[in-house]
Amino acid sequence: MLSTRFRNRMNKRERGILLVVALSWLVVYPIVMVGAESFREPAGWTLGHLSRFAADSTEWTALWNSLWISAASVVLSAMIGVPLAFIFELLDFPGRKTLGALVALPAVLPPLVGVIAFLFLYGESGFIPRVMVSTFGLSEAPWKLRGAGAILLVHAYSMSVYFYLFTRAGLAKVDGSMVEAAHALGCKGVCTLRRVILPLLRPQLTSAALLVFMTSLGSFSAPYLFGGGFRVMTTQIFASKLNGNLSAAMVETSALAIVALFGLFVFRRARGERSVVAVGKGTSRAPIVINQPLIKWGAAAAGWALAIFLLLPHLTLITVSFVPRGTWTTELFPPVYSLTNYLSLAREAERFRPLFNSLWMATVSTVLVLSIAVWAGRAIVQKKVVLRSTIESLLSVPWAVPGTVLAIAVATLFSVNAPLMGRWVLVGTVVILPLAYVIRNIPVAAGSVVAGFRQLDHSLDEAAGSLGATRWRTLKSITLPLLRPALLAGGALAFATAVGDFVTSIVLYTFETRPVSIEILSVLRQNDVGIAAAYGVILMCVSAAAMAIGTKR
Amino acid sequence: MLARSRRRGIGAVTGYSCDLKMKKLNLLMVAGLVAPALGCGDGRTPLVVYSTHGREMLVRAEAIFEELNPEVDVRWLDMGSQDVLDRVRSEKVNPQADVWFGGPSYILARAVKDSLLEPFRPSWAEFIPARAQGPGDHYFAAYETPAIIEYNTTALGADTVPQDWDEILDPKWAGKVVIRDPIASGTMRSIFGMVIQKSIRETGDTAAGFDWLRALDAQTREYVLNPTMLHEKMVRQDGILTLWALPDVLVDANAGDPLGYVLPTSGTPVIEDAIALVRGSDQQELGKRFIEWVGSVDAQLMAANLVFRLPTRTDLPLDSLADWVRDVRERMVVAEMDWDDLAENGPDWMHYWDRNVRGQGAP
Repeated sequence: MLSTRFRNRMNKRERGILLVVALSWLVVYPIVMVGAESFREPAGWTLGHLSRFAADSTEWTALWNSLWISAASVVLSAMIGVPLAFIFELLDFPGRKTLGALVALPAVLPPLVGVIAFLFLYGESGFIPRVMVSTFGLSEAPWKLRGAGAILLVHAYSMSVYFYLFTRAGLAKVDGSMVEAAHALGCKGVCTLRRVILPLLRPQLTSAALLVFMTSLGSFSAPYLFGGGFRVMTTQIFASKLNGNLSAAMVETSALAIVALFGLFVFRRARGERSVVAVGKGTSRAPIVINQPLIKWGAAAAGWALAIFLLLPHLTLITVSFVPRGTWTTELFPPVYSLTNYLSLAREAERFRPLFNSLWMATVSTVLVLSIAVWAGRAIVQKKVVLRSTIESLLSVPWAVPGTVLAIAVATLFSVNAPLMGRWVLVGTVVILPLAYVIRNIPVAAGSVVAGFRQLDHSLDEAAGSLGATRWRTLKSITLPLLRPALLAGGALAFATAVGDFVTSIVLYTFETRPVSIEILSVLRQNDVGIAAAYGVILMCVSAAAMAIGTKR
Repeated sequence: MLARSRRRGIGAVTGYSCDLKMKKLNLLMVAGLVAPALGCGDGRTPLVVYSTHGREMLVRAEAIFEELNPEVDVRWLDMGSQDVLDRVRSEKVNPQADVWFGGPSYILARAVKDSLLEPFRPSWAEFIPARAQGPGDHYFAAYETPAIIEYNTTALGADTVPQDWDEILDPKWAGKVVIRDPIASGTMRSIFGMVIQKSIRETGDTAAGFDWLRALDAQTREYVLNPTMLHEKMVRQDGILTLWALPDVLVDANAGDPLGYVLPTSGTPVIEDAIALVRGSDQQELGKRFIEWVGSVDAQLMAANLVFRLPTRTDLPLDSLADWVRDVRERMVVAEMDWDDLAENGPDWMHYWDRNVRGQGAP
């Protein structure tokens, strides 16, 4: 381990290199091991798996579907999330604060049961189709929740919140005086938006776009549950694995990773090298108060309607959690409500253990991932260009593989004791799951924190330095307080992701670390949707609390 | 050994964090939070069981086995059979599970191929049929899972339900059948495999079998990718007929769901639900003791009478068996199946089905 003095003596370049090495160990190493598996067979190295993949047209269809679904998810999420952020940040209308928080709630819809809520709501026998059937006298459900449309609906619903949160965080940082200056120079309305605000938001917008693109690319539950015959790469990997064809699964994983890396490259180009920094001296602008009653109440009504639409899955989940098993079949509303499900949770103490596990692991991994994000963020705004772009790319790399593959890669990496190679036996220990959460959340946390660093006025840092403050003191009294919104936003997302994580946990959990999502799966395997929903509601409340802290300013 | 690697692991995690003081802080936090999580040693020897059998059964098994062996702390983890295989495979160098309890025998056969299982022949092996015994004593089936035709009892009376596979192809069931996606389901693969193998036996070719599956595809309203969703769809009458496994229907019906089953008259694939010792785990002897217990008369009766498993042991006293067991044993016709052939050719058949049959049957 490095001593403090040695560390302080190291110059910027060396510390940059150390950061690159550390990040490579965490994020590149596991993935390289997966890539190598694509070329291996019992006898040695081979190109056979690759050529079989290339010759199969359905694989190419799946790859193309993954690509366009992800691109469409970005467009749809932006179309919903960005205008919302503008409305809530810039306009003042009755209920703005409450609604602003409610709109972020799709981010806390727990895994597994979240999609079940969609089925109860929009599925053929779901609430909405049943209402429409009985209202309009239809003979059958007006639509089927299936195929590309269904996947896009779920994606747009759950991912627009990224655009919403990131854009709001960015708008809050926009210096009012810059807008005023633009106005004074004759640039108003659309011109200000196009030439001042959007350029300033570029880091946030590209971060959100990247996040949505990568999340959709790795999205498994939505295509798995609603895709029907629609093939995407993640379901192909799953099917190959079930078929016992591990090497095909590895080739498919590598193909997906290459598409993801390509996406990474495109989005980084889109952000551009020279990002605009708002030199913050003025205050952020106050929201525009609407005085015209018609517009004011119109905005409020639209806001509430939207919030209700966004909250329908949550309400469904809460409803289901109060329905005893087997009582709600073909009725429009559940005929019986009771506390049975919650009581059966309360009766068995062992049922609480997973909840506790999820909480401590999410907390530890969030603290660690934020530390890494801050460390990397500082390096990125300070270091020379070559290292900077390397570090930035490394931070996004965990997106290049879907969660389940990352988990297997981490398990493989840490199943051998070879300290010189940076490998230890961690499989089956308490450490490995929080570690996987950290790796998985690096892009989310770093996305927010780095964007925050970009908007920081670097001269404040230097001023503190020239006044004799140590690096640690500068970090503590200048940088971190200024970064608070970004840290809270990134931390909240990382926490919510970790506390509800399913795909990584399923491979790496142990008896001591079994998380709540695994317990939900276990309950669902018994078809106890009500109890699963009760767990989901608890999880939702925990994540909502985290998000409430995260969006507080 | 474990404790050492754990400590080293924490160092590895925090060794690269941002600043020394922060690192101390992190270490403290990690220590403070991990310590209570680790504080579970109560002097008993832990026996780790990876199981597909679900909470209901495992809670009972844990209680009974711990009562019989007070020095043992049974720790079960409930998951799907593919997940068990994934985990056991990835934990090969540091096996966490002592016993693999539950899963179709063809999944355990894959584990044998990867040298993940330790041969062990329990004393009850002589009381089970030959079909329930794995090669090389690597695994033995404690229960059997026959495939059945499942229906919604609110929508259909017992007298109108199809009694055999062929009757599902009747035009009156068009659009009323939902099926678990066969790519993701061992039960469905077994049923499809039975159809193809029968076709090969009778015509020397797979074509007739795929024609049958194409006709089934035409009847099918939807392929559901997940058993829970399939269950919800059946209960909510998104479909009223499906092909599924017996124990699940019994458990669901017992829990109050409006579901019933039919044993196909011409014969049905019976999936062997196996148990095995994981190679290289810490508690080999305890693991053997657990496997012995699972096949004991008492444990077999418990599984049959309380949690609806069809026991493999043929020497169980008839008068202590639940009615449904006797009924099923009396009426169940075991279809002729070549499981090795299915393991070898099944992936190709499913691949062909996926590309050339799925969605093609509709007129």
